[in-house]
Amino acid sequence: MTIDSNEIVLDVQGLTVDIKTPRGVLHVVRDISLQVKRGETLCIVGESGCGKSITSLSMMGLLPKTATRNSRVFNFLGEDIARADKRRINDLRGNRMAMIFQEPMTALNPAYTIGDQLTEHYRHHKHASAEQARVRAVALLEKVGIASAAERLGQYPHQLSGGLRQRVMIAMALMCGPELLIADEPSTALDVTIQAQILRLLADLQAELGIAMVLITHDLGVVARIANRVAVMYAGQIVEEGLTKDIFAAPQHPYTQGLISCIPIPGRTIPGGKLGTIPGVVPSLIGEIKGCAFKDRCSSAQERCSGDIPLRHTAHGQQWRCILEHQEVAA
Amino acid sequence: MSALIQTTDLQRTFTVSAGLFKAKKILHAVNGVDLCVNRSDVLGVVGESGCGKSTLARMLLGLTPPTRGSVQIDGQDISKIDRRELARRVQPIFQDPYSSLNPRRTIASIVSFPLDVLNIGTSVERKKKSLEMLERVGLPARYAKNTPGQLSGGQRQRVAIARALVINPEIVICDEPTSALDVSVQAQILNLLLDLRKEFNLTYVFISHNLAVVEHIATQVAVMYLGRVVELRQTAELFKDPRHPYTQALLASVLTPEPGLGIPDTGLGLSFPDPLHPPSGCAFHPRCARRTPECSTKHPALRRDAQGEVACHLYPSTR
Repeated sequence: MTIDSNEIVLDVQGLTVDIKTPRGVLHVVRDISLQVKRGETLCIVGESGCGKSITSLSMMGLLPKTATRNSRVFNFLGEDIARADKRRINDLRGNRMAMIFQEPMTALNPAYTIGDQLTEHYRHHKHASAEQARVRAVALLEKVGIASAAERLGQYPHQLSGGLRQRVMIAMALMCGPELLIADEPSTALDVTIQAQILRLLADLQAELGIAMVLITHDLGVVARIANRVAVMYAGQIVEEGLTKDIFAAPQHPYTQGLISCIPIPGRTIPGGKLGTIPGVVPSLIGEIKGCAFKDRCSSAQERCSGDIPLRHTAHGQQWRCILEHQEVAA
Repeated sequence: MSALIQTTDLQRTFTVSAGLFKAKKILHAVNGVDLCVNRSDVLGVVGESGCGKSTLARMLLGLTPPTRGSVQIDGQDISKIDRRELARRVQPIFQDPYSSLNPRRTIASIVSFPLDVLNIGTSVERKKKSLEMLERVGLPARYAKNTPGQLSGGQRQRVAIARALVINPEIVICDEPTSALDVSVQAQILNLLLDLRKEFNLTYVFISHNLAVVEHIATQVAVMYLGRVVELRQTAELFKDPRHPYTQALLASVLTPEPGLGIPDTGLGLSFPDPLHPPSGCAFHPRCARRTPECSTKHPALRRDAQGEVACHLYPSTR
């Protein structure tokens, strides 16, 4: 199978998500645009409450009832899915677009066997027989590195360890051969050793099958190792986006710079020394934010930050929203 | 210099019911741990979930009595120290600042509570002292009348730190103190803990699964596997040249933010073994890339040398 690596699998432009709460309307996602190509891994990184999980849920059409989604463009493989009916979405979801959730224990149904849960949507989408689905499930469990796969099919989620459950989740997402895979913190609840295994598995499968992957995480270590491109989210906006190596070598947005300076990096930070910090707290998502959302915490903030913030970019596709122009950053 | 904290053959078992008609099983959460922490050191404890890190922390705090062995503080067995006296000297900071603070009390009363319990000073002095401590951990006095529900995760963890330090303890046991926090807040809390250590000459036992954080804050590191310490060393040396194959695998699986390196192959098997049925011989042997036939039959003796401690057949005991 040849993979056309320029084909855009997911094209989202001008996405906004509002959630009604008793205290007012939360503007959780504020006008973001994303594109993911075939075989590419895009990481969305940000701290809690920045809207990254809601972004991922909105891509799958899994938002809570109190949320409203708007967009200029919402295309999956050229098809406008924002205006598609429920039937069509159900056809695509779990079939050609799949999702891996953070907590395999809550995402898997404790009352059904692994086998039931792996084959249900495959039989539905592919009109396969029980036997065909079982063969496919065994093959995929083996692919994700689960030994004695055939016996595992009869087990319940509680009989598996966290790492195994996450592997089952991955196998389940891959059952129908999706073209788009959305993974929301797939390794956060796991030990470092298991995390490395799971991410390695995901990266290998994704490259082999040419899947477009959107990976949501707060862990910059994960981002650096797995992503082709990174989108940094802050207060519901993408404040910076670009190739992974560019973002880490020369972050342009002060928030990205702050985020990278916060983490202890062997060889770069001095053990026992001061780590960088970002003063202040995230702004409230209720109501409009005038100008730059980061201005109250930014050390380079100026008066201009309350006005319109230009979208700046370099020749090789790094984009950021800031009044500051491109600066050379010493790595 | 004599050690401030010393554990000798520390062991804790739990009885686990395996089913209605099955015999009860014994789980060795901590299995013969000898540790020694000098004053103003930071001992980092790392290992996967289920390796006994938190049980160790609870025993150091005197919250869980050991099944065998002892914990000594300044040469005194903690089972013989009065609970209040122990609490004055050893204080905890827990992982989840959402569940470790009473949601119905004000911040000021949470922080002054240890002073009330230990009956230190007059009520005016206690109030003054707790406000000073709040100020010191970076929480303005205007928060004193708030309840934990009105605070962010990082602010709550500051309250937990203020409460731990308000009675000037010598030892603070930090059990995953930054794991529930965002990276920018984690950095603030780590900076604060390091400053406070210098200012109050504190000794920390710092439990974490985040190796980068441990490398940053600890002076020496104990690596635990299935209830035992498999390697103990000065931090810089451990991270430069790990000896135990498990430490090597653990360090190799850390994803440092360096693009282009890809995701490492840990070489470890599928999952952490069941602590109820620990493997024979060296508990790590089923996942070890360098195992020999000896490993599955014989438990490796601990080797103590100039570099530290390691329990592995690759490093024969000198005794």
